Amino acid sequence: MELNKKGFTHKLWRTIASIQTGVVLLILVVIFAAVGTIVLQRPATDPDEMQTAYSPQVLSILDALRLTDVFHSWWFLGLVVLVSLSIIAASIDRFPNAWRYFSRPYKYPDPTFRRALHPQRTIAISNSDEESGLVAAERALHSIGLKPERVIREDHFGIFAERHRISEMAVYIVHASLLLIFSGWIIDGVYGWRGTLTLNEGQSSNVVELRDGKTRTLPYAIRCDSAGQENYKDGTPKKWWSKLAVVEGGRDVKSKEIVVNDPLLYRGVRFYQSSFGETAKVQKLVISATPNPAFKSSSTLAALNSSRQNPNSDPDNIKEIAFTVGDTADLDTDTSLRFAEFIPDYAVRDGQVYKRSNEIGSPAAHLVVTSKRAGKSFDVWFPKLEEIADNSQAPYLLEPKNLQLAHFTGLQVSHEPGQWGIWSGVVLMGIGLTFVFYVVHVRFWALPVRDAKTGALSLWIGGSANRNRDAFEQRFNDLAASVEEELKTNSLTALREQVVTAAGN
Amino acid sequence: MSHAKAEQPQPATGATLIVGVGLSVAFLLLIALLNVVKSGNLLSETNLLYTTLIFYAGAGALYLGFGVTGTEAYVKFASIATWLGLIANTGAIAHRWYEAGHPPFASVYEMLLSFVWTLAVLTLVAEKKYDVKVIGTVTMPVAIVGVVLMQLLRTDVHPLVPALQSTWLHVHVTLAMFAYAACALSFALAMMFLIQDNMKTETFLAVTSATTVAIYAGVVLTRFEKWGGLSLTAWNPESKSEIFISKGVRLFVTVPDLGWLMLLALLVVASPLVFYGLARFRNNYGFIALANRAVFLSILLQIMTLIMFVLRARDASYPSLDAEGLFPTSLAASPFILSGLVGGVFISLLYLLLLWRRPDLERLLPTTDNLDRITYKTICLAFPLLTLMIASGAYWANQTWGSYWSWDPKETWAAITWLVYAGYLHMRITRGWRGRRAAYFAILGFAVVMFTFFGVTYLLPGLHAYA
Repeated sequence: MELNKKGFTHKLWRTIASIQTGVVLLILVVIFAAVGTIVLQRPATDPDEMQTAYSPQVLSILDALRLTDVFHSWWFLGLVVLVSLSIIAASIDRFPNAWRYFSRPYKYPDPTFRRALHPQRTIAISNSDEESGLVAAERALHSIGLKPERVIREDHFGIFAERHRISEMAVYIVHASLLLIFSGWIIDGVYGWRGTLTLNEGQSSNVVELRDGKTRTLPYAIRCDSAGQENYKDGTPKKWWSKLAVVEGGRDVKSKEIVVNDPLLYRGVRFYQSSFGETAKVQKLVISATPNPAFKSSSTLAALNSSRQNPNSDPDNIKEIAFTVGDTADLDTDTSLRFAEFIPDYAVRDGQVYKRSNEIGSPAAHLVVTSKRAGKSFDVWFPKLEEIADNSQAPYLLEPKNLQLAHFTGLQVSHEPGQWGIWSGVVLMGIGLTFVFYVVHVRFWALPVRDAKTGALSLWIGGSANRNRDAFEQRFNDLAASVEEELKTNSLTALREQVVTAAGN
Repeated sequence: MSHAKAEQPQPATGATLIVGVGLSVAFLLLIALLNVVKSGNLLSETNLLYTTLIFYAGAGALYLGFGVTGTEAYVKFASIATWLGLIANTGAIAHRWYEAGHPPFASVYEMLLSFVWTLAVLTLVAEKKYDVKVIGTVTMPVAIVGVVLMQLLRTDVHPLVPALQSTWLHVHVTLAMFAYAACALSFALAMMFLIQDNMKTETFLAVTSATTVAIYAGVVLTRFEKWGGLSLTAWNPESKSEIFISKGVRLFVTVPDLGWLMLLALLVVASPLVFYGLARFRNNYGFIALANRAVFLSILLQIMTLIMFVLRARDASYPSLDAEGLFPTSLAASPFILSGLVGGVFISLLYLLLLWRRPDLERLLPTTDNLDRITYKTICLAFPLLTLMIASGAYWANQTWGSYWSWDPKETWAAITWLVYAGYLHMRITRGWRGRRAAYFAILGFAVVMFTFFGVTYLLPGLHAYA
């Protein structure tokens, strides 16, 4: 029983750690991710659009399988968790070996290893001269920038040199970086949130609308002081900006002018400029008013009176008035003008004006001209609405000159506590991949060996590289050639020394 | 008449092919020439691009000339032509950069400019450093398709919309172009490997035919309208943009009769595949010879279709099914159909090249071992570039949209590409996959890249709508 259980866990472990499992999981991720790009996804797609694209039955099946929101479904997250487990298991499974290899470099090659190694070279040296062979190898290794060390095994010396041992660990660096990225992503999935905040100029708010329709209240408020747009000459937008301030405990604690690509960051929450536009709120309406010659009532007298009172004013004098909704302006002592209402998107039905929506569509302005003496009020509409009011009846002929609406700024708000995992993972992966592909662990060994039968002494040199072996073979051959060269000059010098000593004697 | 020619022995078909290729190249050059005449300014970007096209097309023609005649000197001249084209291409990029004031990565046009440049550089590197002399046979047609597309797409310098004003954008797109060009090269090398690895010529027949069938089937299935029309996107020549009925819904016009031609082309293009199928299942080799003749016939029909398409779709007005009246269209409105048609011609021509000159190709190519290793090396180059491309894109998105990953289709497909190449590297390093299996993987990887680059932009809308 105990054994069986152990056998089962062992088997499970082997399955999780195997490369086959990893590959199957990756293929599954690929397939479901591809499905997620083909099936329309909520909430990015409007519900209406989803209904026109799919029949109700298909849609209900897709919804039940979470195929309409693949990347936020529990099973996709589960798949990513399984991939992470597989990477962790595979790394743990292989790591101890690699670590042994890394932490205890193999410095003295035994005969079995020597026989199997490729490339290798054996160079004959004079029988008594182990030392000069070793020195020649050391010099050759020095000349290619390595630091050879002497290794003692019993009564023998060997030489070992290596470079970039870290390359053996590179794969684990890449896997670790992948796990960092996944964990950052999962942290964001659990603790992070994303929403929008729309502010009119001068308005402040601390309620963020989240992507699932809920809201989130921040412990501080954001105020938009002003917002604007700059255009290129051809009219396409060049820049959107908003001046934002963070209000906490009744005072401004931070302020910044944000633009697209440059957000405001406060306490781990980022505010991004994402859209900009006009609100349905009137900032200023400019009207020109001309006394109406057709207006025949007692108020004409008033108009005449007023012109008499003020001799400089011409009856044709055009007055310009700037005001906003609710304001009243005097056109003369008798007549006043009130900006009664502003309808952002109007429709006329049965002699009535309706508001169709709160968005700017076809805007209409309702003005009321009141004459005290006549005791009458006249409705004036812009644009002219013949069935509602006859603008030409009013004591003044009004003409709209300019309408300025208040701006709003659309902010994306996001809190991503896991993003540091992402960025450090990315950097680590860059480092890891550089080591994986471009940093080669090279090792060289040199030791004097004696032929078992003849007793002849020779210098054995071997080398190994963990990748790019062809290029390495060339390097190895160059190294062996330079050792031979060293040995030749050595023996020549030695010969000369002998000759000199002999002559001296 | 063309059929009668196809019946003749090979040298004669070769001559017809030269005429066919010559005509199509001359036609492409004519388009470029028209642009020069229109501009009136000789040292402009258009003309640098025109020079680029002449030399790249020249290189492509020389490679094909080598295919027909087997003269090795052609390959050398082709390489020189590539060099000259690259110089002109560099000039065009520099000009664009200077004029726009930002590196040329902001639109499809500018990205193609960079992509073609990188591809030419890598071709020359592969040629000089790794001695893969005939690599240009595959890469140059891709470059030509790129330059022809550029002639048609808008060329005005557009100011950058707010979201694109970031250094990270340039980093992101540069890396993407480098990575994709490296993927294209690894694909070409994998193909060469398969040739050198004695893969049967018939298999190439099946694959090339299937690809052209996919192109025409795609066009016919999505664009064939009742009574033989072909629907194309309407194009507003003043704003140089597509016409939209409502948000995200394009207006289509119907070009009469062009649909029938596409359908006919589909049938003819499918015939080699049918013959191949018969040869396989009846075990009758005679059908292969028939299939080869059918390929030849299909090339002539494909060229005719291409010419008809260009003539009919080039700046004319047609009725629409969705709205009253005539609406203009332009070649610029259908870049993908056009590049599909041009690509189809090249794919079929490449098959003929293989059919006729296989021994010469094999003599000129490095050994299978070397090709295998160079393919691996190019992917070792492409993979880190892909990684950095995705990372820089994520960083940019985080600065612009407040989210480093939003699963928009382009992002998702970039991740899929990355996974496919990661799979390749794992199988190769831990499982020791070499040779054919590795080559298939490299080809699959490039197919996914092509889908990410073109397919996603065209079929799956998302945040990357700028590109």
